[in-house]
Order: sequence, then C-alpha cells, then structure tokens
Amino acid sequence: MKTLDFLFQRLVKAAFVVLGVVILNFLLIHLAPGDPAAVMAGEAGAGDEKFIAQLRAQFGLDQPLWWQLLTYLKSVLTGDLGFSYRNNVPVAALIMERLPATLLLTASAFLFSLVLGVLLGVLAAYKRGKLADSLIMTGALVFYATPLFWVALMAVLVFSIHLDWLPPFDMESIGADYTGWARFADIAYHLVLPTVTLGLFFTALYTRLTRASMLEVMSLDFVKTARAKGVPKARIIRRHVLRNAVLPVFTFASIQAGQLVGGAVLTETVFAWPGIGRLMFDALLQRDYPVLLGVFLVTAAVVVTVNLVADLLYRIVDPRIEAAG
Amino acid sequence: MKKISRLALGLAGLVGLAAITGLEAEEAKTPVPGGTLNMIAQPEPPILMVGLNTQGPTLYVGGQIYQSLLTYGTGLEVLPSLAKAWDVSEDGLTYSFTLQDGVKWHDGQPFTAEDVVFTADKFLREAHPRWRYIASTYVESVTSPAPGKVIFQLKKPFSAFLYAFELSSFPVVPKHIYEGTDYRTNPANQTPVGTGPFKLEEWKRGSYIHLVKNEDYWKPGQPYLDELYFRIIPDAASRAVAFEKGAVDVLRGGDVEGFAVRRLAKLDGVETTTAGWEMYSPVVFLQMNTRKAPLDEKRVRQAVMHALDREFIVKNVFFGLGKPATSPVASTTRFHSQDVAAYPFDMAKAKALLDEAGVKPAEHTLRLMPIPYGSQWDRLAEYVKQQIEQLGFKVSIQGVDPGGWSQALSEWDFDMTFNFTYQYGDPALGVARHYLSANIIKGTPFGNNQGYVNPKVDELLLAGASAVSAEDAAKAYAEAQKILTEEVALGWLYEMHNVTISREKVKNLVTTGIGLNEAMDEVWLAK
Amino acid sequence: MTFFRRYAQHYGALVGLAILSGVLLVALLAPLIYPVSPWQGVGEPLLGPFEDPAFPLGTDMLGRDIAAGLAYGARVSLLIGVVSTAVAVVIGVSIGALAGFYGGRIDDLLMRFTEFFQTIPAFAMAIVLVAIFNPTIASITLAIAVVSWPPVARLVRGEFMSLRSREFVQAAVVVGQSGPRIMLTQILPNTLSPIIVTASLMVATAILTESSLSFLGLGDRNMMSWGFMIGAARTMLREAWWMSVFPGVAILITVLAINLIGEGLNDAMNPHLRGRKG
Repeated sequence: MKTLDFLFQRLVKAAFVVLGVVILNFLLIHLAPGDPAAVMAGEAGAGDEKFIAQLRAQFGLDQPLWWQLLTYLKSVLTGDLGFSYRNNVPVAALIMERLPATLLLTASAFLFSLVLGVLLGVLAAYKRGKLADSLIMTGALVFYATPLFWVALMAVLVFSIHLDWLPPFDMESIGADYTGWARFADIAYHLVLPTVTLGLFFTALYTRLTRASMLEVMSLDFVKTARAKGVPKARIIRRHVLRNAVLPVFTFASIQAGQLVGGAVLTETVFAWPGIGRLMFDALLQRDYPVLLGVFLVTAAVVVTVNLVADLLYRIVDPRIEAAG
Repeated sequence: MKKISRLALGLAGLVGLAAITGLEAEEAKTPVPGGTLNMIAQPEPPILMVGLNTQGPTLYVGGQIYQSLLTYGTGLEVLPSLAKAWDVSEDGLTYSFTLQDGVKWHDGQPFTAEDVVFTADKFLREAHPRWRYIASTYVESVTSPAPGKVIFQLKKPFSAFLYAFELSSFPVVPKHIYEGTDYRTNPANQTPVGTGPFKLEEWKRGSYIHLVKNEDYWKPGQPYLDELYFRIIPDAASRAVAFEKGAVDVLRGGDVEGFAVRRLAKLDGVETTTAGWEMYSPVVFLQMNTRKAPLDEKRVRQAVMHALDREFIVKNVFFGLGKPATSPVASTTRFHSQDVAAYPFDMAKAKALLDEAGVKPAEHTLRLMPIPYGSQWDRLAEYVKQQIEQLGFKVSIQGVDPGGWSQALSEWDFDMTFNFTYQYGDPALGVARHYLSANIIKGTPFGNNQGYVNPKVDELLLAGASAVSAEDAAKAYAEAQKILTEEVALGWLYEMHNVTISREKVKNLVTTGIGLNEAMDEVWLAK
Repeated sequence: MTFFRRYAQHYGALVGLAILSGVLLVALLAPLIYPVSPWQGVGEPLLGPFEDPAFPLGTDMLGRDIAAGLAYGARVSLLIGVVSTAVAVVIGVSIGALAGFYGGRIDDLLMRFTEFFQTIPAFAMAIVLVAIFNPTIASITLAIAVVSWPPVARLVRGEFMSLRSREFVQAAVVVGQSGPRIMLTQILPNTLSPIIVTASLMVATAILTESSLSFLGLGDRNMMSWGFMIGAARTMLREAWWMSVFPGVAILITVLAINLIGEGLNDAMNPHLRGRKG
C-alpha cells in the first residue's frame, strides 16, 4: 500500500514536471527571434508577404501567444503533438520513428558506462594505491576531460578508417534487409562505436564516483570493525561494501540519464545515427517549433520515467528508504 | 552522354575541365539493366513533393519522382521531357506543348493535359512563389484544346518563358490527388505520386530514402537501375568516409567540402565532372544593404570590391572549385556580357575610393552575417572581415542559423551578408529578381533585399524579359550588366563549380544541364 | 598554512595548478606574443607543424597561425568557463539558499522549478538557448550558466537545511537578526568550501560545453576559441590533422588541470569528506 501511495504521488509529480517543462519550452521558443513562416517561404523558393501570411494563418502562427499555448496544451493532452510545418508530417509520427534509435543508443551507452564504470571503480578502490588504481584513475581523468565529439572523430579515424574494424556511421547496413538475429547482430555491430564514444565520458565519471564511494564506505566503522575481526578484505567488500557503495552511484546515474540525450545530439551527428537528438537539432535550425517542443516533451517524459523507475528499484533494493520516507 | 574526365588538380585544371566535359562522346558499351545506386541526400529533405519545396535535396530525390514538361542540355538547349514537342508563335504570345503518349502516374492513373493545366493554373499558382510571379505577370490563360495538347497564352511576350519549365520551376503534379485539397497538408505529400522513373518505396527519416524502379515508366526499357538509395549522413566528414568506403557511389556538389573533393578525386576508379549545373550556375555574392550608411555610397561598395581578392577566395576558401564572377549574369547563362566594370584586387585603390567619398571607415562598424551553409562559408566571412577591416572599418560577424539568416535577410535587418543565386538559364528567371525595384519586398531572402533602386535598370531588365528577338534581349541585358557592375548592386564574388564525384562503374550519370536532378532513367551500372 | 599543505600533498593538484598557470599566462600574454589578430592570415595556407619555424604548430586553410589561435582561444575558453560558472553559482546559491533556509512552500516551489531545468538535458537546452538567441559570447556564457546552476542549488539547499538547525544559526535568530543577514553572514560562509569545489569542476564542464557548442557551429564568430578551431577543422581532419589535434589537446589538458585542482581543493577543504565528490 505504501508503495502504491508513493507511486501515485510520484506520478502526479512527474506529470507536473513534464507539464512545466512543456510550458517553459513553449514560452522560450516562441519568444525567440526567428519566424518559421519566413523560413518555410524561403525553402519554397521565395515568397512575398501574402504567401507568408497565408502560411502563418495555416499553422495558427497569427494567433496571440497565450492562445497558441492553450491550443497546444489542449492538443497535447489529447495525445496530438501537432503537425510539423517543415516535414508536413504529424510530429508524433516523426518522433516515434526516431525515438527507438535514440533509446537504443542511450540505453546501451548507459549500461556500458555504468557496468564498466562500476567495475573499474571497484577494482581501483580494491587496488588502492597500486598500479592498477593509478592506471584506471588516470584513464578516467583523461576521458573525463576529453570533448565527446573529439573522441568520436578520433574513434572513426582509428577504428573505421585505419583499422577498418567497425562501421563509421548508420544504424544498420542499408539495403541488406537482414531479419531476425542477423539484423540484431548487424545493429549491434553498428552500435559499438557510438555507444563507446557516448559512454566514455560517463564511464570515467562513474569510475571516479564508484571509487570514491567505495573508499568512503570502507572507511566507515562497521567495515573497520570487520577488518579488525580478521574478516578477509575481499569478503568484506563483497558482503558489505559493494552494496552500500554502489547504490548511490546507481541513483546518481539514473538522475544523469537525461544528460545522455544531450550527448546524443553530438554522437548522432558524427555517426549519422537516426535518432531524436539530431531531429531536435535540425528542427531547431529550421524553426520547426512543434517538432522541437515534441522532442522536449518526449525527452522529459522519458527522463522522468527513468527517474521514477530508479526510485522504485531503489526502494525494492534498499528497504530502509521506505522506513525513512 | 558526357565524357567525364578525371579531376585535374588546381584552378587551371578545373577551369579547363568545364570545357572538356562539354564535349559529346559516345559511350561504347550498351547499358546493362539492374543494380542499386547509392547517393546522399544532404541535408535530409523535409518533403519530396517538389511543388512545395524547391531546395537542393528535395529536387535531387524528387527529380526521380516528379518531372516537368521540358529539360535543358548542358548548353542550355531545350529538350523534351513530359512534352515531346513545343511550338512558339511568331509574336511570342502563344506556347503550345504536345505531351508524351502513354504516361502513367505512379498510382496507375493516366497522365493527361488536364494535369498540366491544373498544375499551372491551380497548384503552382498557389504554392510556388516563382511560378506565381510568372503566371500573374505574363500568363493570360492555360488551356487544353485537345487531349495531349496544352496551350499557354501570354499577356505580353516573355523571352525566358521556354526556360520556365525546369523541374524546380514547373513540376507537374497529379490533378486527381490534389484537386480540392489543402496542398500543404495533403497526406499524399508523404507518398509522392509522380511520373518519373522511380517510385518511393520507403523513407526512414534520419537514415535513408529508398526509391525503386517504376515498372510502368513511359520510356520503354527504362530505367535501367532497380533501386536508388539516398542516405542521410549529417556530418560532412562522415559523408567523405561513406564515399571512400564504397557505401555511396555518387557525391553531389556540396556533399563534401572542397578539400575532401581534391582527395576523393584522386582515388582509384573515381570520376569527377563539373557538368550538370549549367541551368543553375550558382553565382555567389556579397550583399551590401544599400539602405545603410556607408554602404549606400557607391564608392564604398566599389572599395569593398577592390579589397577582396577573389582569386584568393576561390583558391583558398573554396579550394579551386569555382571562378571569379565578373557580372551578375553567370558566364554559362544566356546574355552574359564581358563589357562590364572590373574590380581587380587593389587595396590602394580601395582606400583611395574611400577617401574620395569622404568616408572615415573607423567611424563605422559593419555587421557581417555569414550564410549558415557550412564551414567554407564561415571561412569566407572570416576572410571578408579580415579584408574589410584592413580598410579601417570595424566588422562584427553575426553567427546565425538558417532560420535566423532567412529571417534577418527577409526583413532587411543586415549590413552585409552572402547569398548565391540560381540563374535558371535566363536572366529574367534567376538574375533580374535581385535588382528590380519592384522586387524590394519583405518576406523572401531571394529578392532585392539590398534595396537597390535604379529606374534605368528596371527598364532595361523588363525590356530584356519582354523582348521578342534574342538580339534585343542581349542588348538590353548587356547595358543592364554594365550599370549594375559599375554601381556594385551586389558584390559578385565567384561562380560556383559544383563537382560531381562518382565511381567509374556509374554510367550516364550527368547528361543534362540540370545534372543530378535529371530523371536517372538512362543511368546504368557497369558490372 | 594547513590548507596549502593539504593541497600540496595532492600531487595531481600541483600538476594541475602548474598547467593552469601556464595556460593563464599564455592567455594573458597572447596579445604580446602574437600582436597580429589570430584571424589574420599570416603565412602560407595549410602549413604542417614545424614546416616553417615561424609557425611551429602550422597554419590553417586561410594561413592563420594555429599557435596564435590557441593563445587567443585560451582567453575565450577560460573567460567563458569562469564567467558562466560565476553566474551559475550566483543563481544556484540564491535559489538553494532561499529554498533551504525558508523551507516549506518556497522550498517546494523552487525545487520544482529546479527540477524543470534538470529534466531537460543540459546540453540540449544550451543548444536551444544559444541557437535562438544567436551565438554571441554573452548568449553562450548565459546559456551555459542557465543549464549548470541546478546542482549548485541542490547542494546549497542541502547545506542550508542542515545548518539552519545548528545552534549558531538558532542563536542568531533569537538575537533577532534578519533572514537575509543570517543567510549571508552566518550560513553562507560555512558552505563556501563545497561551493568552491563544485564551482571549480563546473568551470571544466563549461569549457567542454563551449567547445561542443562551437563544434555544432554555435560559437561566437568573432572570438577565436578552441571549440571553434576544432569545428572549423573537423571536415579536414584527414587532410590537416594538426588543425584539430592541437586545440583538442589544449582543451583536454586545461580541463584536466582544472579537474585536478578541483580534487585538490576538495581534499584540502574537506579532509573529513575525502572522496565525496561527483
């Protein structure tokens, strides 16, 4: 029952946050300079004022801002994200077509960075002060300081062009028409470089976090006591330290999950990955407001959901939270 | 068929190339049917319906789906497309077209003269800004007196009219799909129905556009290719890699940056050509807002022209892919004139002109807005800034994205910017729009946005457009070019040479003056 | 003295300090070392490194000196890093302090507001802000600040909440000091060390963000920055590697140095919290 209450509360809060994000973005975007009708007219070849006025009326851009906002919110509530001026397609269709690619990329980068980061962090903490620790932490420091797009460019240069091991772009072999496992393998093969480049920064981050968290827990009294009692180090770490040290890293990582979408804009650009990061960027440059708003709405919804799921998992894994909350 | 020769390095080689590729040479082999051609659509087109969007990538892909009545050779000769014959009356007022027989739309419906009438009179008149202008200014009526016949009756002669039927200017659309609908939101825009050699099979946004052979195409035995893929690869460096790795067979001008063109051209089994852009012949110019001091002063604009080393721009910013422009009319366009004011690179002369005009450059800060089309354009802005600053002006570069650029230009909110114009074969279609005072209208980035006014030029341009004989037109246009260059109505920088790079196995790729926008019904792949 | 001794114990922190001092020095002296504008073509275009001793790091496609670009770029990167962080800290501290000190409704409201910003991916938001307000050094700085304040706000809120109930604060309340005064004179000084540590790491992130924006073509076109140099050079990565490698390395070592300093500060300021950082 308590969990249900909690879930309900969190859902209401999440909906509220998403709504806030939508309004915030709507105002931000519509207050900015840049007239989508003018852009569209330019794309049609030229345009006079009458032509632009016609476009503006067609897309409701001639209405007052508050009215546009209300209309937008109303249609969003009925599940209609609007119509893309530029692509002449419903926004929802456009986003749904591109969302899976981004989810795949960000989810795999998330898992990659979290698993590798935690492993390396634990290892570094375990081998504290040894060579392995220094190597891991130096690597983490370097990747923590390297621009993502730079890593991407270098990775393409080395692994695709010089070594010819991995495909430098696209999500699957176009025209190959693989099905079943062959398609799965093909996508996985294309996923390697984007995942690793997007994930490296976060791997570095989680490595550092895990190590710090491990050391903190290891300095706590109960661990010291166990050590003093002569319990082997490896066993203490396995039994007591790991769980207490890694949980905060998981929480932090789930909160950070949204940031992967930001990085996806860069990754998708370099690797021609057909996701919503790139869609957002293109929509922005073309002043395709409904698409831009739609992408933010969907992103916010995904981020909020991830956080919610993380919270729930956390409660399940660590029942103490319930007592406290 | 064009002989396609390897790209020679350096400017001289490139200039010479244009001449070589103009030669006709018969390809010995006979076409082999079958195969897949991989290309790149950059940037991803928003829509494939050419009647609603005439940007480069839309035309590139849409040109395989939609067709116009006519097309144009590399020497701008008028060639048949959906019209197999045409006739112009002596007074230049009646244009009659005879359509091809047995043409079907992709949905199986027959293509008829009614479609052409609907296109001209309804669809494009509402949705197409360039056709709108021509239709309302010159066209009296469009009728179909008999099946397979269409007659355009003009109000007054228009010497460029026969050039107004290029794909981007007059894509024929199906009446049975669009009549009585809202053209922009018609769902059929997503499933384009044309008469072209290829049909849309699948469009995976952000990944690729897949076209397949139209089995009912009206040219028997064509097209030869089975499938076309237009890949979406947003990053320029990745596009170069895609070609290098064999993922794509063709690179269109602008797909990769100038520097990569040089490198890719040297690869084995690769051909290049600058042919196929004659109809468009883009001319790049520096647009100086003549409403703003000190740019309202002719001598200041002349000084700016003298301060820019256009040879340097072509060589170092655009890696030799072009040649300095001397006139508003490209050297490949009809009525180009050599008898114009010239602006050799001469800083001393530039400074002298400023002194003469009594302008103190240090008192002025000029805003320079680069056209947001990629890094070479940014370099151009940086070079121009550096040169104009040497005259003593302060220059601030305003970075803008395409949306911002289009808007600032449309609302005349700029000091200096760059732009380029497609010529469409005749000054009346692609050139005059930038100088006619009647074209000083807000709302389009492609009008007379610099606010240039000269009644004499208006008169000459209109005289050229409505001349019945080519000699009269040439005379009027020559005089107009002389005045325009003397007054620096725009700062013409260079004529772009777009290089098409392809693998040797791709045959018959560029056959007309609209190049890759041409229906690829004759393209085939050697085994 | 203990602070510096603790800091100095951190070997990496010393290295970081040395590197950053070097970068700062170059940034300050840039106009003296390279009196000609970094935008001015000064040599043959596309000279490789060491091809011409006058241009040890080579030149770009317009003949501009890469080394001069790096020197001037250091100014921009550091400026944007520091200023945007300062702005973010001011916003974050204000919001966090109010929320943490007053609690209740105000806390709820401010934290919801903070959450909106945290829900939108920071980099995506920065892109939108810079694009729609046109890229200038001011809009870039502001955009970075706008997306980076929430963690500060959360941190400060937490500190304020825990300090609010401490005796010395309660004493001040009893004495009748005003809320703002208590916040500024009593609580804030006690939260400075975590703020400084966080801020130092934010400078590093801001430099990375600026370079990413420039890479996407959203940099200030009048300022030579490292991100701009990479963005301009990336299409020529294969042909002229030096144009993108040197600015890339510059970003890397600068950000690395700042991170090292941040760690050193953390260790020096919070000896009891060794390792608690994120």
